[in-house]
Amino acid sequence: MTIALAIRLATIALALVLTRRAPLCRGVALAGSILASLVTLSVAVGVLGGGGPVDGVLLRHAASGMVLGYAVTPLSAWFLMVLGVIAIPVAIYSIGYFAHAVAPSRTAAVGIGFNALLGSVELVFAAGDVITFLFAWEVMTLATAALVATEHDERASRRSAYLFLVMSHIGTGSLVAGFFALAAASGSMSFSTMLGQSAMSLPMRGVLFALFFVGFGVKTGVVPLHVWLPEAHPAAPSSISALMSAVLITTGVYGLFRVCAFGLGVPDANWGLFFMAVGALTSILGVLYALTQTDLKRLLAYSTIENAGIIVLGLGAGMMARAYGNRELAAIALAASLAHVLNHAVFKGLLFLGAGSVVMATGSRHLEQFGGLLRRMPWTGLFFLVGALSISSVPLLNGFISEWLTFQALLLGFASTPGLVRLNFPVAGAILALSAALAAACFVKGFGISFLALPRSAEAAEAREAPMTMLAPMAVLAFVCLVLGLFPGIVLGGLQPVLASLPGSQSGRALLGGTMGLTSGLISSPGLGEFDRVVPAGVAIAMLSTLGLAAAFVARAGLAVRRAPTWGCGGELSARTEYTATAFSKPLMMVFRAVYRPTRQVDTLAEISPYFPQEVRYRAEIEPTFERYVYAPVVRTVLRIATGMKVLQAGSLHAYLAYVLVLGVLLLVWLGGTP
Amino acid sequence: MNIPVIQTIATVMWAILQAAGMLAVAPLLKTAIKKMKARLQGRQGPPWLQGYYDLAKLVSKEPVRSETASWVYVAGPRVYFAAAVTATTLVPVLVPAAPLEAVGGILLLVGVLALGRFALATAALDTGSPFGGMGASRDMTIAALAEPALMLGLFTSALAAGSLNLGVLVRTLLEQGPSFQPSDLLAFSGLFVIVIAETGRIPVDNPATHLELTMIHEAMVLEYAGPDLALVEWASAVKELLYLTLLVDLFIPAGIAPHVAPVALVVAFAAWAGKVLLLAAAVTLVESTNAKLRLFRVPELVSISLGLAFLALAIRFL
Repeated sequence: MTIALAIRLATIALALVLTRRAPLCRGVALAGSILASLVTLSVAVGVLGGGGPVDGVLLRHAASGMVLGYAVTPLSAWFLMVLGVIAIPVAIYSIGYFAHAVAPSRTAAVGIGFNALLGSVELVFAAGDVITFLFAWEVMTLATAALVATEHDERASRRSAYLFLVMSHIGTGSLVAGFFALAAASGSMSFSTMLGQSAMSLPMRGVLFALFFVGFGVKTGVVPLHVWLPEAHPAAPSSISALMSAVLITTGVYGLFRVCAFGLGVPDANWGLFFMAVGALTSILGVLYALTQTDLKRLLAYSTIENAGIIVLGLGAGMMARAYGNRELAAIALAASLAHVLNHAVFKGLLFLGAGSVVMATGSRHLEQFGGLLRRMPWTGLFFLVGALSISSVPLLNGFISEWLTFQALLLGFASTPGLVRLNFPVAGAILALSAALAAACFVKGFGISFLALPRSAEAAEAREAPMTMLAPMAVLAFVCLVLGLFPGIVLGGLQPVLASLPGSQSGRALLGGTMGLTSGLISSPGLGEFDRVVPAGVAIAMLSTLGLAAAFVARAGLAVRRAPTWGCGGELSARTEYTATAFSKPLMMVFRAVYRPTRQVDTLAEISPYFPQEVRYRAEIEPTFERYVYAPVVRTVLRIATGMKVLQAGSLHAYLAYVLVLGVLLLVWLGGTP
Repeated sequence: MNIPVIQTIATVMWAILQAAGMLAVAPLLKTAIKKMKARLQGRQGPPWLQGYYDLAKLVSKEPVRSETASWVYVAGPRVYFAAAVTATTLVPVLVPAAPLEAVGGILLLVGVLALGRFALATAALDTGSPFGGMGASRDMTIAALAEPALMLGLFTSALAAGSLNLGVLVRTLLEQGPSFQPSDLLAFSGLFVIVIAETGRIPVDNPATHLELTMIHEAMVLEYAGPDLALVEWASAVKELLYLTLLVDLFIPAGIAPHVAPVALVVAFAAWAGKVLLLAAAVTLVESTNAKLRLFRVPELVSISLGLAFLALAIRFL
């Protein structure tokens, strides 16, 4: 760990020196990053491979006896592993991408930000005590804000970065408060002693839980703390967006695991229920908003919210299982959540990289400006399709595996939990099914409108395939999607030490996985010994052979294929007659209009008669519910209070001195009363 | 040769046989529904073998594809077909076990069908025709809305049997013997609605129409011709047969062959065919006595089904 941090610091220093030589600076910054990520990845794999936790000291302050250090537990190692798997391809991609997409004068800043961000995320996962954690957390926030504001000459970018900073600091504020309360109660700053016991009374624990939920929830992007995410993720350069969506949200998830689920003693069943509710709400709202987006990167950002919801849903189920003392169920639910952390990181990283290539090739983020890109960018299109299939959780790819695991957790939860409360599991299952199906609709649109049919703009017609340095990392990630989807036992193998290290969960025979498939069941509950199993490779073989059969059946006639123009309904077929992204999601927008509250405005400009319009303007928007009804009142109140406070802050030195005097006297009076 | 190898070969042969059987019977089901519908309207209806004639005609035609289409357009019908055929090996038909039940259960079945739908809907966007987009959009909308009700309905049966595996499920049902649970009726009604929605029948979609504004599935595959279309049609027929078989398995498994013997298999085949035909008659009745719903009324229908499924779950387990 120390080596990785040292490499990052050296890289940052070198990048600073080389500021004026952009290409060299870029190379050094990214190569340094790859090297550091490799070191961290090897540490993480070592811990997961059974090497036991790794810890060490970063700084020792002799006078106060304070020690700052790192401790890579199996849980940390899992998140570090996910980070490494994404960070290395993203860094390689960035070598090609920054050359085109980032101005030379900003290369050094972006390179430094990239390293600072990755280094701080590594330290967040590995921190062994509160001070290190909060320091890394804050560096992470600042580095992200700087990267979001890369294009700071645009007002929208600055606003996104500002919104991100404000939301993050609300979160950090609650974290600081929560950690200090914990530290005071346990008398230690180190995570291992602080998070190990539950000496606190129940109401206090509830308050702490709420504080940490807000603190980590902001980064995870759970509704209603998600408002910054769809603004900030698209604003950053695409490879940074990939990092943010794939990895940055997992810092929040890590916190929720480490503190909310396993740091405050045995969780209350209501906490688990609350997480399940928040997770289900987040996933459904995230995917509903993703559906209506026409900006590709915003669509992906909203879909990140959906997946964060699924992760939190699994975690909630695990917490409930733990509260009820069902160790096998807890293991299944936690495995589902952690597996989705990895799977989401891989396919969302892939999709953001693909989106980055498309944006670079067309100069636009708007779906209605793409079209027909598969001909111009065949490889990017193929990899994007793999990502789209993964995120739609169809079999043979990795998204299906975590969805399958989450369903196991929910159904077994229903079957083995006592009381009425268990009805929450099938409700969550129905919502999960709906989110997954809506995600499929969303990505049929995302892929189909962008890559198929006719180009919708001159830029799309002239698009050029991305260079090799950008294609290769996408190929790697697409391959990982496929391998994890076909051989889910690999993921489970990595998860076993993590599950073993978490209190209250015991995988045992609940979740068995060889190289090929997975089996789930609860030995402890009668009749649920073997609940379900899945062998994706078997389906793959079956499907491939039927595909061959279909091809043979069709090719039997041996007739040559004739190409003919598509029938344009009597008119001329052009990009303007194609179905648009807006139109594609229109039926669902109508169905869920209670959520969207859409408004539509059609203006027809005509001179002679309304039947011969010269211009039709169409404007449709959906209501930003959370921004308008949740945050706007808060902002108004804060501004009103601030305006009121202006009276105190008159700018007169005499007045300020008088305040000090009055406060001093008051303090003396107050303290004078106590012995 | 050792036992596992022989077992694997036997399983594969069984899977192939079952898939081939379902493929062979599926066009007949389509014709049967058409015939029953025609009789209700006082017409004669097509000859029994019309389904096969149609497929043979389509296959022998020259394949015509759009100039604007890419490989995705070609892959669409093939993946759709492969998904439907693969799915048939995951359900028990004549014996209380599915050939590939060791590979996966209900979740995999639903997932494989979702993969086929994804492929076909994506391919529909490839020609640049507004119809393809319209059909894909509507098909994905209805599928998304139907998904939670389908899952909940299936989960009710699965939880009663303690397994998500269809083979285990049917065996448990047979062991328990014929018993009537009020929840079965609710779950069955809920799933029946979903089966109608998923197979594109009236009142959700009209398989016989080519009227611009009412098409859903037909709009999605409007640009396909010749052998490509044959694959789509055949796969749709297989899917319909599959859904009806699934209903039979979950709610009226009686008659299934307890052991592999010629007589038992013949009886099981007759029982299965009879039950599927009965359900097909129900589908025909619904189709003949209802008008197609407006697209935006479909969510109401589906939410009724979701409500039924949830009620079934609640009264079964509380």
